Amino acid sequence: MAEISRDTLLWIYERMRLIRCFEDKVAELFAQGLLPGFVHLYAGEEAIAVGVCAHLTDRDYITSTHRGHGHCIAKGVDINAMMAELFGKATGACKGKGGSMHIADVSKGMLGANGIVGGGGPLACGSGLTAKVTGSDSVTACFFGDGAAEQGTMHEAMNLAAIWKLPVIFVCENNLYAESTPWFYHCAARDIADRGVAYNMPGILVDGTDVFAVYEAAGEAIARARRGEGPTLIEARAFRYYGHFQGDPLTYRTPEEEEEYRRRDPLDQFRRRVLERNLLTADELDAIDARAREAVEAAVRFAQASPYPAPEECLTDVYVKYP
Amino acid sequence: MSAVGIIANPASGKDIRRLVAQASVFDNNEKVNIIRRTLRALDALGVRRVLIMPDTAGLGLRALDGLRLSLDARIIEMPVYGDARDSTRAARIMAEAGVACIVTVGGDGTNRAAARGAGDVPLIPVSTGTNNVFPVMVEGTVAGLAAGVIAAGLVPADAVTYRTKRLELYVDGELIDVALVDIATSRDLFVGSRALWDPGRLREAVLAQARPGTVGLAAVGGCLTTLSPRNTHGLYLRLGAGGRQVLAPIAPGLVVPVGILEHRLLEAGEEVHLDPGNCTVALDGEREVEVGLQQTVAVRLTTAGPRVVDIEAALAEATRRGAFDLAWEAPDGPSGGC
Ligand SMILES: Cc1ncc(C[n+]2csc(CCOP(=O)(O)OP(=O)(O)O)c2C)c(N)n1
Ligand SMILES: [Mg+2]
Repeated sequence: MAEISRDTLLWIYERMRLIRCFEDKVAELFAQGLLPGFVHLYAGEEAIAVGVCAHLTDRDYITSTHRGHGHCIAKGVDINAMMAELFGKATGACKGKGGSMHIADVSKGMLGANGIVGGGGPLACGSGLTAKVTGSDSVTACFFGDGAAEQGTMHEAMNLAAIWKLPVIFVCENNLYAESTPWFYHCAARDIADRGVAYNMPGILVDGTDVFAVYEAAGEAIARARRGEGPTLIEARAFRYYGHFQGDPLTYRTPEEEEEYRRRDPLDQFRRRVLERNLLTADELDAIDARAREAVEAAVRFAQASPYPAPEECLTDVYVKYP
Repeated sequence: MSAVGIIANPASGKDIRRLVAQASVFDNNEKVNIIRRTLRALDALGVRRVLIMPDTAGLGLRALDGLRLSLDARIIEMPVYGDARDSTRAARIMAEAGVACIVTVGGDGTNRAAARGAGDVPLIPVSTGTNNVFPVMVEGTVAGLAAGVIAAGLVPADAVTYRTKRLELYVDGELIDVALVDIATSRDLFVGSRALWDPGRLREAVLAQARPGTVGLAAVGGCLTTLSPRNTHGLYLRLGAGGRQVLAPIAPGLVVPVGILEHRLLEAGEEVHLDPGNCTVALDGEREVEVGLQQTVAVRLTTAGPRVVDIEAALAEATRRGAFDLAWEAPDGPSGGC
């Protein structure tokens, strides 16, 4: 494992904590009926987005899913703009017209959350092909769920990326369920990573609750993509703490399962391990926790104080204008 | 007629070595096929009962799906965590249920976990990849036949099994875990993606096996001496640049120079104190334990490893006793012909 700098450790914890605080807050706001639309929360899966994005710069791209808040935060999208987007405000990342499932910020290389399950794969091939044709060294990380893995679009994307040796890494976030369907029911392959060999790319399995495991695997896969050696499939197993969407009664999950999730919590795990090794101090981590909470509160205040888009803006940015 | 246990690990054969080296890919449907072939061989030998470990990928369930057998194969009822705890627990349950032997389908890690629960029940370790030292690359049918002749009492288990070695890991004087092949310290601060493939990061190693013809630390030791699983010695290595160099396959496809500053043979029962300090400890080639600056690390070589069936010896002995000779009949009636 490559050395991991103190700054990177701090960055990782700060991003993971910000995601957790953001999602917990959104759950609360949604329950109060303050948010229009639907939200799918990423809490429990923080180590995946953060472990991957720790290797990316603004010149690299990611494609996302309907569960996209964590990807946005890990890629550096402004949380004020994100929160305002959830509130449908004019100051939102998409001027309030996208909502949770369409947050995008191309300046940060975030190509958009995506309401279409499996929709990110073809987009990732597009940005991968752009990098290849223009000769830039940018890499695209394509996040997709275990359910999305069963969509035709993902098979097409992985095949295309492999035959064209595109600089794309496919990161399957296996959180054990697609809505309420367990992955062992929907996946004939018995393992999503197993499919890599069929696409002529390395396919590996990592613990998605352990940010160091994700960081190391993603680092190797991204370096390989930058060297022009083509795509990699990484299956990262983690748990989603909340229901599929807010309001899901979660009748398909047992209390023992939840207890096991919490035992492996990605943030607790990180905190315990860096403290045991004397790499960071509890004071530093506590300060990050406090800053994250405050940043999320500030984002809510920003969103609530922002105006809704004017009615005459309804069609702006919606249709492409041809001459 | 005794029962047989089967432990198949859905997570084996798919770690980062597929990305950083050219490790073989072993998919889970092939593991399902191995379980099926094992079951069919057991069935053919007249074994009546098989206990299978449940797992997160449903390998056992899938193996039984549509397979017509006259034996009673059952998935054990137990909680499933999707990690090494499952194999340990399943082995313990199987041992308590009195199985004659346990067929393991996985790598060194799978066997390490099963060994913790198996007690004196012999293992028949079927490898699911080229980067394993403890289990053997063997066809599932053949493993099933070996298990079958033992469970059916056609061959006395003691005659065809041997006791392996075990390395005990102590951190701050406390027994933390055991390994079957090697224990090494690595400069890595975190367990991360577990595998070891960069010899430059290794500090010290204690080997229970040193064998040319393997891949990993056992192969590095194999450049200096040969220690089979049955030999009771071990080997200590201090790794690093500036001394002797050997060319060894440290991972599949990675044949690289490895620097060795010191090496010496160890006697059974000997304890080695490794250098303290921030490091990770790898058991059988996988980083498992993170060790802090103030902690001490020691490794003890013992001969208390799991019992293992010598598959070829078992089948040869069974053949000698006429177990596969369809015309053969025991004096007091037929006894498990095939
Ligand atoms: C093409 C398409 N089909 C169905 C849906 C409805 N849907 C939304 S999320 C979801 C489950 C996706 O599961 P997974 O990919 O595992 O992602 P997770 O929700 O677990 O993060 C489904 C079926 C959709 N949005 N798009
Ligand atoms: Mg899912």
